[in-house]
Amino acid sequence: MRMVHLYFMPNWFVGYNILLHIIFCIITLLVSLFAFRVHKMSGQRQPKLFSIAFLFVSLAFFIESIMNLLILAELNEHVTLVLEDITSIALFNFIINYAHIILFSIGLVTLAYMTFRVRSAKIYSLLLIITLVPLFFTSNPLYLYYLTSSILLIYILAHYLINYLGKKQTRTLLVLFAFLLLLFGNIQVFFSISNHEIYYVIGHFIELIAYLLILMNLMLVLKHEQKARPAPGHS
Amino acid sequence: MNKKRDRLQVIHDILKAIQDRNGRIKPTHILYKSNLSHQMLEEYLGELISKGFVVENNSKTGKTYSLTPKGFEYLNKYRMIVEFVDSFGLNEPQDIKT
Repeated sequence: MRMVHLYFMPNWFVGYNILLHIIFCIITLLVSLFAFRVHKMSGQRQPKLFSIAFLFVSLAFFIESIMNLLILAELNEHVTLVLEDITSIALFNFIINYAHIILFSIGLVTLAYMTFRVRSAKIYSLLLIITLVPLFFTSNPLYLYYLTSSILLIYILAHYLINYLGKKQTRTLLVLFAFLLLLFGNIQVFFSISNHEIYYVIGHFIELIAYLLILMNLMLVLKHEQKARPAPGHS
Repeated sequence: MNKKRDRLQVIHDILKAIQDRNGRIKPTHILYKSNLSHQMLEEYLGELISKGFVVENNSKTGKTYSLTPKGFEYLNKYRMIVEFVDSFGLNEPQDIKT
């Protein structure tokens, strides 16, 4: 859906948005991999859900950035496009956008489901269905996507607010702030649909700060790893 | 010690109790340090032995438990796990409602 925004973003931003999506993809993949490692070491369920959620978000950015890169390369190569080419590129665009929306929505639903701390396949499937199915029947999937993702982000944000109030630490504050920025970024991009291209740029830079905060938190966790003293007789 | 401890914390408390005794401890000491019932402790120790974190030693003076290198490694990583779980709000609920 983001490539539809090509019409609503400044020309100078084309290319930068792909770079930003690659950065988002790498950061979310790192978080996903680390969460999965924590799940393997601890056997806990919450890190597994968190890992799955971030994997879907990462996949959403991966598909979008790689495919947009291919389109950009194609456009640069063939400066004069025949109508047939434009139609096929538009169709390709459409598929990419839907793939991104679906993958990102699954990621957010999984994250929201994780915050509910329930173990119910019914609830999870219901959340997925009511989030994804309407996207295929609406005349404007972009508006619906940003609306539902904003609602999901509000629920996720509430979880991190409670988490911060329970444990007032720098790291919990960083994560709370990151999700707050993700919500603001989402709302900014929402406004860009109405032809306000600058909101698209602002939204993406807000998202960049949010993902960098998440990365910073991950680095802090790794930095604070302390070694336990081995007992005598053990290497 | 927290009133509500998740599984991860309980396992950590057991391993920490063994570590604090220079890696070898009697079951009664673990019971005291980990604040668990006898039955629960047996279950946890069984799991820790099966996962290779702890070994059981039988001698004339009685049964003792000691940490394996994997047990020490678990304690090393535990701090990192807890920091990750805490900061990203991934704490496992004590009772999961369906």
